[in-house]
Amino acid sequence: MKTRKYIYTKIAFLLGFVFIVTVSCERDLSSEAELAGYSKAGDVFIDGFTGGLDYYPFGDSYFKAFTVDAETKYDGTAAMRFDVPNVGDPTGAYAGAIFRLETGRDLSGYDALTFWAKGTTGGTINEIGFGQDFGENKYQVSTSFQLTTYWKKYIIPIPDASKLTQEKGMFWYAEGPENGMGYSFWIDDLQFEKLGTIAQPRPSILGGKDVVQQTFIGSNITVNQLTQTFNLATGIDQTVSVAPAYFVFTSSNPSVATVNELGKVSIIGTGNAIITAKLGGVTAKGSISIQSLGDFTPAPTPTNNASNVISIFSDAYTNVPVEYYNGYYAPYQTTQGQADININGDNIIKYSQLNFVASQFSQPTVDASQMSYLHVDIQVESQINPGAYIKVQLGDFGDDGVYGGNNDSNGVYTIPGSALSKGNWIGFNIPISALTGLTSRAHLAQIFFISDATITDILVDNMYFYKVPTAPTVAAPIPMVSAANVISVFSDAYTNIAGTDLNPGWGQATVVTQVPIAGNNTLKYAGLNYQGIQLGTAQNVSAMTYLHIDYFTGNSNALNAYLISTGPVEKAKALAVPTSSGWVSLEIPLSNFSPVNLANVIQLKFDGNGDIYLDNIYFHN
Amino acid sequence: MIHQFKIKANTVLRKVFFLFTLLLLASSCDTDETQTVVKFKNLVMQDEFDAAGAPNSSIWNYNIGNGDNGWGNNELQYYTDRPENIKVEGGMLHIIANKESFLGSGYTSAKILTKGKFEQKYGRFEARIKLPWGQGLWPAFWMLGDTSNASVWPEIGEIDIMENRGQEPTLVNGTVHGPGYSGGESITKAYGLKNNRFDTDFHIFGIEWGENYINFYIDDVLYNQITPANVTGNWVFDHPFYIIINLAVGGNYVGSPNTNTVFPQTMLVDYVRVYQ
Repeated sequence: MKTRKYIYTKIAFLLGFVFIVTVSCERDLSSEAELAGYSKAGDVFIDGFTGGLDYYPFGDSYFKAFTVDAETKYDGTAAMRFDVPNVGDPTGAYAGAIFRLETGRDLSGYDALTFWAKGTTGGTINEIGFGQDFGENKYQVSTSFQLTTYWKKYIIPIPDASKLTQEKGMFWYAEGPENGMGYSFWIDDLQFEKLGTIAQPRPSILGGKDVVQQTFIGSNITVNQLTQTFNLATGIDQTVSVAPAYFVFTSSNPSVATVNELGKVSIIGTGNAIITAKLGGVTAKGSISIQSLGDFTPAPTPTNNASNVISIFSDAYTNVPVEYYNGYYAPYQTTQGQADININGDNIIKYSQLNFVASQFSQPTVDASQMSYLHVDIQVESQINPGAYIKVQLGDFGDDGVYGGNNDSNGVYTIPGSALSKGNWIGFNIPISALTGLTSRAHLAQIFFISDATITDILVDNMYFYKVPTAPTVAAPIPMVSAANVISVFSDAYTNIAGTDLNPGWGQATVVTQVPIAGNNTLKYAGLNYQGIQLGTAQNVSAMTYLHIDYFTGNSNALNAYLISTGPVEKAKALAVPTSSGWVSLEIPLSNFSPVNLANVIQLKFDGNGDIYLDNIYFHN
Repeated sequence: MIHQFKIKANTVLRKVFFLFTLLLLASSCDTDETQTVVKFKNLVMQDEFDAAGAPNSSIWNYNIGNGDNGWGNNELQYYTDRPENIKVEGGMLHIIANKESFLGSGYTSAKILTKGKFEQKYGRFEARIKLPWGQGLWPAFWMLGDTSNASVWPEIGEIDIMENRGQEPTLVNGTVHGPGYSGGESITKAYGLKNNRFDTDFHIFGIEWGENYINFYIDDVLYNQITPANVTGNWVFDHPFYIIINLAVGGNYVGSPNTNTVFPQTMLVDYVRVYQ
């Protein structure tokens, strides 16, 4: 009896127990269960490196800057210690490194990288952030913090955590000495956190400005100054610089301008396009409105030898330090634009709404005492009406090298509208001596373009001072024509006409000598007014096609070459002088000398001015 | 006989156990253990802000202007009734602080109150609000006593259900002012969100006000109770009070906006509900 009762009791209990266990709250695998992917751990350094983290200093930094410090720490057992070297330290002039994982982490559930830090001094860490991995650095973030000498918590917000599903770059920094002095700082409890108190995103491009840019096909513009700003729980905004990959860039008119995922804008058509961006679905403040004017032809590449040039603005030379290409002299100046257009690698200056504008280069000033000319290429974009002009004004700051002080001077050279061309580059070689009023050229500091709004839109390129060397440093080029086709007057390469008098006495002032130039015998006319060459015998050059002359002059501004036949019948051919690029090899068609009798050429003559070097004077076909 | 009785007992026992297991079965999946003790359940006034346009004039009046010395606090705004500063739209009340030059002030905003239209002693007063943010913004949801017992402040009594400083986006204060405990001496307690802010989503701010107590709650957290023992003066919360909602700019409580403060700033109210 007893047994039965107890058995029933036990069975009832057992059944009840079984009931509860098997029927109660059984759960199937939830649809929210996530399969294991990349680690979601947020620790970077608490009391030691998180697993898989490694330290890689920058190649030119002080390699031993980082240590683990068990004595100075915010909490726990250790902190990171960074020792910034003194300025100029031969073992590395700054401290900087990346801290990178072997395998990426899924950080999409966090909203900030946080840490506690203090320094031996209140140094400002130049750059600190995450996302740099010595690879693509695709999601790199950086900001700058000033340390205190007490522990303080710092927060680096994640611009858009949904992008960081596989991030290796946990932390990076770069810091140079403060006022030349090294110091130390510590970082502890470095980790990614979901604070939940970071809000009100305000992404920005181009400093939040709506930029308007007139440009041409082939131009490239980079959308820069990419930042994200959040409001923190402290009520303070924190801004970070972000890599382009956080943004989505859009062009309103891709047939005019395209923009790629790095924010590089390429102008491919004529017309207007507006470039904007979004970060995490929020439209960024700032934009570029592109007005593409169409095709662009660059100014001719200068040929002056770089050793004869002081360049203010040119891709062909190294420019001197220039403070600005537009001083924006408010309130009278209306001119907009500066040297910020790059078209297929060609940098140009574009001025719009021109009334006057100055480029300044006074740090240091330019000593152009040896220079003779100012060269500038100008392409006018706007209408050139009668009476229009561009005045080029050169300013010298005097002995004190600064503006003012009663020792400044300037000179003006007026380019009339008739010398300019809309849509075409015109090159001007302005003799500095023509700028009356300029009493010194030893401390040049400013170049003005002044149109008083008679011309409103111009492009400028290749602004440089140059000198024309007075003597050649290399020999004239070696002639290539076969001797059988040549009647030579003066050349080391051929047999010259026998008995030729290179300095007949015609009452000239010219002093004639022969000088070796780089081993090559060269004819030199010093102080030319006129000078003859008496051929040994009359020559029949009617079977020849050209008179070839190599000539060089640094200071002539007038030079003619004559053939003379019996009579005398003479005909001049004007030669372009001075030769700013070195030897000029001229082929003059003999037909140019008509009515000289080519069957009976007896003399050559040169007239003009300056010092002339001549070589390889020969007829050929 | 005994044998039969025992068998009966066994049967009963089995049934009891069976019922017991059934009960366990029924209750074993129940995970809700919240106990809500709601004393004020009778909804007597509500504004769900569903009718677009100006706020309901049968409930709300406006305060206009910049008061005396910025409403006694050196506040910087000029309160208006323009739609630029106050409107009902999208099922919400929008109170908008603008930075603009207006009749001698540098900012405009709005302040509405139920004075003379809805006043009640005791009850549950709550509103669902999303706050503005930034240095110098001062939103408030509060109450002032009528003049049945006294005619001036602080004797009339003031209950601040919610006050916030825009530069403290995780903190809100609940406060009472009365004679001997007003202004800097008011009885106040702050409530801070740990992993959240008050400007990113709506939160419910309310009080339960009875004869000898005022309970302050935010969402489902009762964070303070003030009783006559807690106040350093007479307990004046025993007569009808009216409701005020406003967004001030600057002033002694919050300080001025700075160059980082983004304008316009909006205080969004989803509803106001009063229970007895």
